[in-house]
Amino acid sequence: MTHSHSAVTDVLNFVTEQLPFSELPVSCAHFFVNHTKVVYITTLNQSEVLHSNQKYLYLVRTGVFDLVDNAGEVVTRLGEGDYFGYPSLLTGEDIQNHLEVQTSGLIFLLAQVDFDYLRREYPKFEQHFVRAHKKRLLSSHYKERGRGWSERKIATLMCKKAVTIEPQSSIVEAAKVMQKAGVSSVIITENGQLSGIVTDRDLRNRVLAAELDPKVSVTKVMTHGPKFIFENNRAFAALHLMLKHNIHHLPVLNEAREPLGMVTSTDLLRQQKHDPVQLIGQIYKAHSYQEVVHLAKEIPALLRGFSNTVEDISFIGTLLSGLTDAMTSRLTELYIQQQGEPPCSFCWICFGSQAREEQTLHSDQDNGLIVSNTILPSQRAYFAGLGEFVTEHLVRCGIKACPGNIMASNELCRGTVDEWLARFENWIQTPTPQAMLNSKIFFDRRFIMGDQSLYQTLNTQLNNIQTQDIFFAAMATDTSANSVPIGLFQQFKLQRHKSKHGYLDLKTRGVAIVNDLVRIYALKCGVNKANTQSRLEALKAFSVLSKEDIYNLQDCWRFLTQLRFKIQIEELGLPPNCINPEHLSSLERHQLKEAFYLIKQAQQACVFKFARGSL
Amino acid sequence: MKWLIPNFIKKRNEPLWIDSELVVVDLELTGLNANLHEIVSVAWVEINYGQIALQKAQYKINKDVQKLEQSPIYHGISEPEIAEKGEHLGAILSVLARLLDTKTLVCHNAPLDWGFLQKYFIQYGISTKPTFMIDTLKLEKKRLLRAQEVIREDQLTLPACRARYGLPAYQNHNALSDALATAELLLAQVSHLDSQKAITLRKLA
Repeated sequence: MTHSHSAVTDVLNFVTEQLPFSELPVSCAHFFVNHTKVVYITTLNQSEVLHSNQKYLYLVRTGVFDLVDNAGEVVTRLGEGDYFGYPSLLTGEDIQNHLEVQTSGLIFLLAQVDFDYLRREYPKFEQHFVRAHKKRLLSSHYKERGRGWSERKIATLMCKKAVTIEPQSSIVEAAKVMQKAGVSSVIITENGQLSGIVTDRDLRNRVLAAELDPKVSVTKVMTHGPKFIFENNRAFAALHLMLKHNIHHLPVLNEAREPLGMVTSTDLLRQQKHDPVQLIGQIYKAHSYQEVVHLAKEIPALLRGFSNTVEDISFIGTLLSGLTDAMTSRLTELYIQQQGEPPCSFCWICFGSQAREEQTLHSDQDNGLIVSNTILPSQRAYFAGLGEFVTEHLVRCGIKACPGNIMASNELCRGTVDEWLARFENWIQTPTPQAMLNSKIFFDRRFIMGDQSLYQTLNTQLNNIQTQDIFFAAMATDTSANSVPIGLFQQFKLQRHKSKHGYLDLKTRGVAIVNDLVRIYALKCGVNKANTQSRLEALKAFSVLSKEDIYNLQDCWRFLTQLRFKIQIEELGLPPNCINPEHLSSLERHQLKEAFYLIKQAQQACVFKFARGSL
Repeated sequence: MKWLIPNFIKKRNEPLWIDSELVVVDLELTGLNANLHEIVSVAWVEINYGQIALQKAQYKINKDVQKLEQSPIYHGISEPEIAEKGEHLGAILSVLARLLDTKTLVCHNAPLDWGFLQKYFIQYGISTKPTFMIDTLKLEKKRLLRAQEVIREDQLTLPACRARYGLPAYQNHNALSDALATAELLLAQVSHLDSQKAITLRKLA
């Protein structure tokens, strides 16, 4: 082997001249040379470099390369002797950047195992890259790295396997289990299902401070039926729950509701850099309505940067709805601080796009208040004031007033459970056009904050009256009044704009039709969800739609939503949500036609099913 | 339509460059005539799936060399070195032959190296028949001709070809350096062809 060393002298000479090898024994450079791979990178194959499933240390031999982050900003320019790829080798995080070739050239690759070997063997080697990493983190461009973490799945963030104990265990035993596993909380399971959790803080507050005998059952001090999260939820959802309830530990469950592990606020904060999700936390903590309004003003600017880094663009709808929820909650709490405790229980609900988590920057308010049936006439003024206060400040936060006046400031959007029920019953039993319009908005609803039992009572009672065939027939007929913009021979039917180019309205003639169809099926099956994708997920358990139809509708919705958000961000000078098909690639055009065609079919099937083909 | 299918399959099965394993060989010789001169050393590096793996680089000196003549001027290998580090050419070439059974041979100016290899393969009774042979010199010549340039002899030497792709000048003149230099040249040449994904070995051969 000595021969092969001496023979690649040219590579060895180059490597020994580079830091940190120049300050290390020659054996270190020898190791590098004998374990390196050489590639030649051009614009044609640049995308194959920095693949996150294969991590390498890269050393540039020749050529000029730009390291570009998710937002398209150049992090640094690399030339002969420059390294890249080490941040993810050091942190184990996914690679965020990609390479853009300025001048083609040779690059040396060192695999993770070999990099780790050199790190262990030569402390100076490790120091060099740790310092380089810190330096890059500090550089101004790099500050914004790592956005988009909040849409990562919980499963990728949570650490450790679930640390669990049986309910028969004593507090001492619980503490010992936690000590042994080195964790700050433990899950109590009964028959494999989550029944409670105990945290460090519980041991302090409920045991030590309360002078409780630590030999008693752990069930005495645990939090019963704690909040939890599913492994497939996004980090965003976990953070939102934690901020909302001021908790730091969330058990993670699989679909069978078995505990898999724990995600802590520290796990999440570690991920967190600068992004709009942080705003939610700040909004929940705002001390005054001025502060809420001030924070809300930052949303559009933050979102513009954020949207470039989001892969599943429909997540923006979820994010905006989350922000609106946070503002509504915080403003309500501020009102209570000002005006005193509410005279009876109440809760906030939202409708329409906010409920479906499809909100955009242009969406307007659709909200309402449910109050307890026991309310006295004299107590109603309190809630009139609350509705007024919150909706008015939401407008200041940039969420426009609803042109149809579906807002809690309107008396018709406040009411007891019985009053709301009467309204719904009226629409269901006398399906006038206005009632159909109301149904479309009000049947997409979601709980925001307050006494959840009021919302649940309303839902349960509504499920009992929604079985009117005439109502579904009217809904189905109403839905088919709106058609997809596609002609007999699979041609787009374009609408005309003042400036004379044709366009397609993706919202009203695409997404909205899917929403309408899915709503009918969801109501029919008593699915109490508002988000179209969630409704479709839930409908898989019923026989009203075939699996294939469900997958088709899911794909159509996702495709149209992506396209819709894309054009909203690009702002092509057309009416909102509209697109000129000529600006699409031929693949996108084809997909769009296919999507419209599938929607048309689903629409016909729906009319046939509910309106007996009366059209 | 049926008669079309076998052709179609055949085409689909053509090995692609990016899926292939290649071995880049360079020889040091006592002269340029395969009938008169001998191999002094053999070196090779492997290219697997578009990456040069230096770990597998080999450099072997021929112990059986008879007359070095003036050649040490070029390769700098002295008789004591041969005695100390050399191996039997038959053994060296059997190792190489086993690689060539499955991998594509690459040389810069292949007729010269292949002439010598063939002579010794026959002499030692080693059988190998590489399916493809890639010549980086020939590739470069084709490219220049396509660009309708007038080619001078000295434009096709390994250093001259490398310089055209901005590859570094290698100081060391030995078989392994040249084998690596040739391998890097091939990567550069391939990278400058269009439609990366679809490049077949046949296109390079």
